Amino acid sequence: MRDWHVHVFTSTYTADVSGVCSAMYELGGMTILHDPDGCNSTYTTHDEPRWYGSKALMFVSGLDELTAVLGDDDVLINDVCAAAEDYKPRFITLCGSSIPHIIAFDFKGVAHLIEKKTGIPVLPVPTNGLRMYTVGVGMALREWIRRFADFSLKPEPKTINLLGVTPIDFSRQELVDAMKTAFEKRGLAVNAVGAMGESFEQLQKVCRASVNVVVSSAGLLPAKFLSDKAGIPFVEGTPIGSFMTDKIAEAVLQSEKDGQNCSVFDRGKYLAKAGNDEYAGAEKTNLIIIGEEVCSLSLAGAAEKVLGKDAVIRALFPDADEGIDEEALVDYINAADAVICDPLYRNAFGRSHAKLIPLPHEGYSGRIFRDDIPVFLGDGFDIKAFIMGM
Amino acid sequence: MEASKDFQYIKDLDYVYRADIGLSYSSPCRGAWNIVHYGTLVPEGHQIYVCPVSCLRGVVLTTAELGFEAMKKLSTIAVGEDNILNGDLEEQVLHGAERIIETLEKRPRMVMIFTSCIHHFLAVNYQRVYKILREEYPDIDFIDCYMNPIMRRKTPPMPSLRRQILRVLKPAEKDKGQVSFIGNCFPMKEHCDLTNFLSRNNIRVSDLTTMKKYDEFKAMEHSCINFTFHNAAAWAGKDLELRLNQRWLVMRESYDYDTIDEDMRKAAEALELEPLSEAEIKKEREMTEAAVEKLKKTLGDVPVSVDDSAVDRPLELALYLLRHGFRVESVIMDVNSEPEEIFTALQKAKPELKIYAAHGWNMRRARTKFDGKIIGIGQKSAYLNDTSYFVNMTENAGLYGYAGIRHLMELIGEAAAEPKDMRTLIQQKGWNCHIEEGC
Repeated sequence: MRDWHVHVFTSTYTADVSGVCSAMYELGGMTILHDPDGCNSTYTTHDEPRWYGSKALMFVSGLDELTAVLGDDDVLINDVCAAAEDYKPRFITLCGSSIPHIIAFDFKGVAHLIEKKTGIPVLPVPTNGLRMYTVGVGMALREWIRRFADFSLKPEPKTINLLGVTPIDFSRQELVDAMKTAFEKRGLAVNAVGAMGESFEQLQKVCRASVNVVVSSAGLLPAKFLSDKAGIPFVEGTPIGSFMTDKIAEAVLQSEKDGQNCSVFDRGKYLAKAGNDEYAGAEKTNLIIIGEEVCSLSLAGAAEKVLGKDAVIRALFPDADEGIDEEALVDYINAADAVICDPLYRNAFGRSHAKLIPLPHEGYSGRIFRDDIPVFLGDGFDIKAFIMGM
Repeated sequence: MEASKDFQYIKDLDYVYRADIGLSYSSPCRGAWNIVHYGTLVPEGHQIYVCPVSCLRGVVLTTAELGFEAMKKLSTIAVGEDNILNGDLEEQVLHGAERIIETLEKRPRMVMIFTSCIHHFLAVNYQRVYKILREEYPDIDFIDCYMNPIMRRKTPPMPSLRRQILRVLKPAEKDKGQVSFIGNCFPMKEHCDLTNFLSRNNIRVSDLTTMKKYDEFKAMEHSCINFTFHNAAAWAGKDLELRLNQRWLVMRESYDYDTIDEDMRKAAEALELEPLSEAEIKKEREMTEAAVEKLKKTLGDVPVSVDDSAVDRPLELALYLLRHGFRVESVIMDVNSEPEEIFTALQKAKPELKIYAAHGWNMRRARTKFDGKIIGIGQKSAYLNDTSYFVNMTENAGLYGYAGIRHLMELIGEAAAEPKDMRTLIQQKGWNCHIEEGC
């Protein structure tokens, strides 16, 4: 029987807590990670390229055994209030790791108490340290929008938001700018980016967009929320190269017209399901793309344009709860001609003859290959040259 | 200048000083070793971490940053919601460890299994798991290790690991010609008085930091004395003394000459060797004073700042430098673990010495550009003062005694002469931790 828990020689995607911190980083708040220790330095070292020299506020609560056993939430409340009094953040985000989860820490209740004491809005984001960063980014953005968005605003035509944007998936501002430029070139105004290179005030105007573009799966939760609450439809897709950007732009106009949510890739066609007990061996493929869900599926779509309709292209992406099953991963790599993935997967290639086409991803390898991340978004990215190694 | 929330003057502090209370800030200084770095020292060893992904992320990438070869010495088992609901954490550790061992290309001699906070809180019976594993794989030593920072006030992970790794050693015949240095991160070479003393008396030193083979490591059980140089190694020293009846001697990382002489004398007595003569000690002191004087002339009135990542006793070093006429601006530390007489003497020597809490939440915005040149002794002081003139070292870097002080003076002199790329250097994880192929 397969066991997704065991990783003999591969790394792990970053966790929900880092996702929360990353999404809230530039919005002028103070993020509190309720955890004994360790998750904070993991985030600031491996997941947060903006940390050095910055003044953004993120702290760990330093939960200890006695406080956890006694359920003494006053310790956290008093510590947060003390820091809030000094720093006077615009808002506070409260998330947590596995120990608060198993002792049933009341995020909502404690957030309410801190807010009452400080007068500062507090967002409860009940993460548990067991899930993927995409969940954390999504939960944090949804909570932020729920609390701060101006829902009285009316959508403006040909105006979009980009949701699910953090350095964990998109590393540098340069990549975000490439996305914005590509959409603007197609007559779509980018209203707000959730949340990288964006201001608190602009993100408050999120309801001005007629369509949300979910550029990574981290944006799905806030997109669904805005769809339900404000009637703004969403399009799933990452603008990788001109072809996929065109497809997204077309889908945006269609969604604006019919109000329907849609994806620009054929999920069923490209899906390489991992962590499935029923799974028995991998099909022979020409190309496997390993990485975040929406990016990988979009890249699969872009690759098909280059390799042709007959090419067998699959996307293997981590499950929000289980990550990627290492045994399935190895099977897929062994059965592929080429693999687009983070270079840190190299150890999983073993005796495989598949060609590794490196596409570093901070969500997987952190800062190790940060300088090698290409601007894979927008019109400037030549997918053919990337795949063919030209 | 008034003391602020960023720092306190030493005159205003109590001797019992702990700054790790309240919200904690994560400094970008990464040179200090963590448990992953220390675990990689074990030749032919393999580390298995069993934790939620939020904890695994840090250990895996710590290893990955050491290179692909290092990745072969570490595996992980992710704890999921299903394990919490099913209550199968013991089975998970057992079956996960089995699969890892069977999959590895090379059979490890030691497997260190690190359980985490969640195992502690769910009362997992991991000893039962290790018992089964030991029966299944009698050729492998299984060690219970802990990455449970929730217990850090009682059993911090680093001292715990330094003890646990040595738990494989068994009572054995003692060799009077062999001693061990235990609980170090770095080899103690020519800048350690004890190494020089043992060398001239043909006593062999067994030290994990220099080993290539597991059998060398196991041979530590034959040492007649274990020497420790750091507080974090104390549990290991005590444990071996109780279990193996190996004598434990503490070599205090002191800048007080009498203390150094006393510890060296105890070492000589324990080994039944002739201690350093009065003339030799006098010469050592004179050479050391000359080195300090030389540095003082070089630095002039340029101030220094000291932190607890570079040396175990930042207050004592500050006192030593002040007494030799240096201008000591600040000390950065989280916990005061130094003798009270040092603290009191320092209060008298410089009442307005600034003490910064390294990880206090108020440090996030405390970073200041020092007005003029300042020398940082350690990464935290370099970052806080935003200076490129700093000594890049951690955990005393293999220095001990007079030779250690002299080399430290050289390092400070070099730091003052040549600026370094502070931003790059301080963010590298695990200063001077290297993995060699096949170890």
